[in-house]
Amino acid sequence: MNDMRQFERDVKMTNTKITARSVNVHYGDTHAIKDVDVDIADKTVTAFIGPSGCGKSTFLRCLNRMNDTIDICRVTGLINLDGKDINHKSVDPVQLRAQVGMVFQKPNPFPKSIYDNIAYGPRIHGLARSKADLDVIVEKSLRRGAIWEEVKDRLDQPGTGLSGGQQQRLCIARAVATEPEVLLMDEPCSALDPIATAQVEELIDELRQEYSVVIVTHSMQQAARVSQKTAFFHLGHLVEFNDTDQIFTNPQDSRTESYITGKIG
Amino acid sequence: MTDFTTGAGVPRNTTSTELVAASLKRRRRKQSRLQWIGLGAISVAFLMLFILVSSLISTGWQAFTQTHVTLEVYVDPEEIPVDRLPRGGFDDALAASLGKMVPGVDMSDRKTARAVESILSNGAQFSLRDMVVADPDLIGQTITMKVPVSDPYDQLNKGLIERETPEENRRVKNNEIAWFDALVAQGAISKPFNLALFKNADSRFPEQAGLKGALVGSFWALLTCFLIAFPLGIGSAIYLEEFAPKNKLSDFIEVNINNLAAVPSVVFGLLALAVFIGWFGLPRSAPFVGGLTLALMTMPTIIIATRAALKAVPPSIREAALGLGASRQQVVFQHVLPLAMPGVLTGTIIGLAQALGETAPLLLIGMNAFITSAASSPFDSATALPTQIFIWADSPERGFVSRTSAAILVLLGFLVIMNAIAIYLRQKFERKW
Amino acid sequence: MTTLPFLLLILAVIVGYVLNRVAAKTIRDGGNRLHSMTSYHGMFSALLILVPVLTFILLWLVLRGPVIDGMVMGGLPDGVLVDLDSGGVQLVLAEIKSVSRGQVFGTPEDWKIAAADRFVILHQRADWLLIAAVAAISLLLMGFARSRVTADFRARQGVEGIVSGLMIFCSTVAIFTTIGIIVSLTYETFRFLEAVPLTDFLFGVNWEPQIPLREDQIAAEGAFGWLPVFLGTIVITVVALVVAVPIGLFSAIYLNEFAPRKLRSVVKPVLEILAGVPTVVYGFFAILVVAPAIRSLGQSIGLDVAPNTALAAGGVMGIMLIPFISSFADDALSAVPQTLRDGALGLGATRGEMMTTVLFPAALPGIVGGVLLAVSRAIGETMIVVMAAGLIAKLTINPLDSVTTVTVQIVTLLIGDTSFDNPKTLAAFALGMMLFLVTLMINIFALRIVRKYREAYD
Repeated sequence: MNDMRQFERDVKMTNTKITARSVNVHYGDTHAIKDVDVDIADKTVTAFIGPSGCGKSTFLRCLNRMNDTIDICRVTGLINLDGKDINHKSVDPVQLRAQVGMVFQKPNPFPKSIYDNIAYGPRIHGLARSKADLDVIVEKSLRRGAIWEEVKDRLDQPGTGLSGGQQQRLCIARAVATEPEVLLMDEPCSALDPIATAQVEELIDELRQEYSVVIVTHSMQQAARVSQKTAFFHLGHLVEFNDTDQIFTNPQDSRTESYITGKIG
Repeated sequence: MTDFTTGAGVPRNTTSTELVAASLKRRRRKQSRLQWIGLGAISVAFLMLFILVSSLISTGWQAFTQTHVTLEVYVDPEEIPVDRLPRGGFDDALAASLGKMVPGVDMSDRKTARAVESILSNGAQFSLRDMVVADPDLIGQTITMKVPVSDPYDQLNKGLIERETPEENRRVKNNEIAWFDALVAQGAISKPFNLALFKNADSRFPEQAGLKGALVGSFWALLTCFLIAFPLGIGSAIYLEEFAPKNKLSDFIEVNINNLAAVPSVVFGLLALAVFIGWFGLPRSAPFVGGLTLALMTMPTIIIATRAALKAVPPSIREAALGLGASRQQVVFQHVLPLAMPGVLTGTIIGLAQALGETAPLLLIGMNAFITSAASSPFDSATALPTQIFIWADSPERGFVSRTSAAILVLLGFLVIMNAIAIYLRQKFERKW
Repeated sequence: MTTLPFLLLILAVIVGYVLNRVAAKTIRDGGNRLHSMTSYHGMFSALLILVPVLTFILLWLVLRGPVIDGMVMGGLPDGVLVDLDSGGVQLVLAEIKSVSRGQVFGTPEDWKIAAADRFVILHQRADWLLIAAVAAISLLLMGFARSRVTADFRARQGVEGIVSGLMIFCSTVAIFTTIGIIVSLTYETFRFLEAVPLTDFLFGVNWEPQIPLREDQIAAEGAFGWLPVFLGTIVITVVALVVAVPIGLFSAIYLNEFAPRKLRSVVKPVLEILAGVPTVVYGFFAILVVAPAIRSLGQSIGLDVAPNTALAAGGVMGIMLIPFISSFADDALSAVPQTLRDGALGLGATRGEMMTTVLFPAALPGIVGGVLLAVSRAIGETMIVVMAAGLIAKLTINPLDSVTTVTVQIVTLLIGDTSFDNPKTLAAFALGMMLFLVTLMINIFALRIVRKYREAYD
């Protein structure tokens, strides 16, 4: 198995976006992530699956150093983005997060207008030189978020007034507006109904054209539908990482098999 | 491990990465400016508290001692005959003994005699009188007694009157300083702890003014306040939290309580003045009326705290007791209330601490009267600690400045103790469900 | 003498409890199954006696004084009270009372001494009557309670009914307090408006509440226009807010987001200390330290500064309000959901940007509610201004000048001897009415904002 992984890594090396090696995360006394190695490819959807509490979200939050905001959290190991160590002293998490955007479990539009929600990132990062620039960015982002048609006539209304699915697509559009290279999604559909979920999944598939997308999901069906690569986490270990087809049709590890056949919940 | 340099080449959106990088320094600066302003704001608040406390201590600590002079008093039967007690020339006896200690004064000159006599506190003659009345055998004997000096000399001794000040701007003249220095040289001057501050009630003379009346008045008022507000507050809170149907009336009561908690205290004073004193004819200046008024103000605090404490008791305990066949009242009084008691007591103590410092309503019901004896019942006229502070702060005599500060320190001392008890209760009995 | 009825009551309560409990126990020992526990039977009797008798004693004690005063004054010989206004009548009553206590000053008229005797006798009679009544009612209730003891008497329901009633009564005290405030203020305000027209009060620009003491005295008529007083209140409130709002808000922002946990655990209690300092202490602080400091500072730069400036009073009031605003703002910021913080940080905002562009705007309604409550506090705050602000009402907005406030006027008009029939004292109630209305409106508005805000994030 090891040989196979090695082989695959070499093949895909040309477009690897993020490389993680021996990553460990401690929450106080809890050892949440144990020695995880993973490579995340560009322009691909990578899904992290696993039972609750397996550490998949924690690991995701390492990729843009969101764990820095939690006092008791300690991250060790190497995570490289385009070959540069993101945990290095010289790297500003602010800049990192502009490059690695994030969408959260619960839609969290700011209590501002739809326009201001999208313009938030470009404004703080100074990406727009003029109001016209900003208008262009907002429209482009909303289009990429597949929500433009629904909101173009009410950009000045609060983002909190949208439905759940619209709010989540708004949040995706907001993340896209800062022109990230990687988009992290932490169970983006868990708070949504099936129709909204389908819309968001469709959107994720489109985003793959331009970004490297990492999605944490609870639902194996969702992983199967949207991702090309899948990583299975269990009790803080990365048990198996492979092409999604492989994971679901031919799992190498017995734990993966138990999980996808429903024996571990 | 394999070397994993990326071959992806130049990142796609170089420009935005550069823009972000370019903005970083400015944004970091902005954030640290915000942090510094915040830290500055906190420092200002701390500085103010520091100035407040240090100014109180620096002016107040002097009032905890009082300059005394030790006299050898000959109780002259001519001046103080047994048959005229309690009247008699006690002041002359004191003056005569003082005259012997002060060099170079002609005590037969009435003006000089009066000036010398004014070294002593006005209260000294009454101390002597009380001693003699208690034991008439002292007449004809020479007794040694320690009496307080009057305020200007007390200030001189404490260095509050600068000797360098030009004589015409100084309350103690050069010759008077010489007299005092002579007394110091004879070792007659001492500066013991100022017991009078706690043993005496108010007085027009700073050196005799004490807090006893105010402490007793505050005690009666707080006792009344507690006896009324505690049961009413708890009863009300239990009803609203555990039994009241959720309807318009209970909503109205709730809004009412929240608003009452924010009504200015002086309005409660007006209520007390119009209703308790004007309509019910209760006595003015009485701690009972003060306590009644404070109770109305404290009740919302107690209600709010009690409800929070009751809310914190998990429903599982109620359900368990109800399941065993207890009535709802039994559940509340036997299970829920005892568990909520630490929270209730904490809230009550904090409410009482607020009541102890409350001044305005007490002024309106006349608890700022000048009363020279401590109240013996809650219906007697009295002052309270905060109103006493107000009276003294308003008094022109220099000696009252440090007494005001001292009274404030005493008040703050009580508040610190009460809050410490509340914090102790909270921490000792705090439960995580 | 006043303790005797209470002792009697306690005795009756204990006896009633024991009697019923023993009676219930006898029934149980006789082999019958009781519906309620014996202790409930005892409690039933005790409460049945305690509640009505205690109410009776308290009412008696409250009403005794005025009733006897009325009887004594009514029984005075004809003609002695003619030509006396109500103040004079009060004085006569006070003299009779002090004579009755044996404190005789000068030589009172014979009729006063007779009245004093009557006063003493009436009081003695009232005391004996009270004791007799308490004993009688207690026995009656005790007997009634005893007669109810049977095997299937639902004593527990009886007790719980009484307790429920008591608790409902407790809950209504808050309402009665509000009603009491409104009724007393309205009543006295109407009496004030009989002497001074409403328009003069509301729109007058002069506040000079002097009243001629005698008919023939040449004195100013007295002017009761509340505008300058209200303006002074606003000036001081504004000064207080200018001090408190920025310091309070920035402290809250720092504490909420940037302060290391240790610093926070020190700063919060210290701010609570600042909040717990009684206002009379702040008032003294203002006259002892702040006002002289401002004065000498002003003089050193050549400004003419009044000794009791609005700046000193307002500034110290601002210090008092700092912890109030900062704790409100801290709570409001903490109430903003974590997801919004994550959202902003996830987009690459610095913590400062997250605070200023997301958290603060999101918390703004709550913060505004807190600031409004602070405004209401500043308007109603009394001791600081009584001690540190002026007495003369001036139409000025210069914070270096001396201004007066509504609360200062209320206190100065009512301190000292008050009788309830001249516009001067009644004016205090009219001012109190305005104060109550203004603060009530602000409070209701602010509490509604705060409540709505909490609901939005729950």
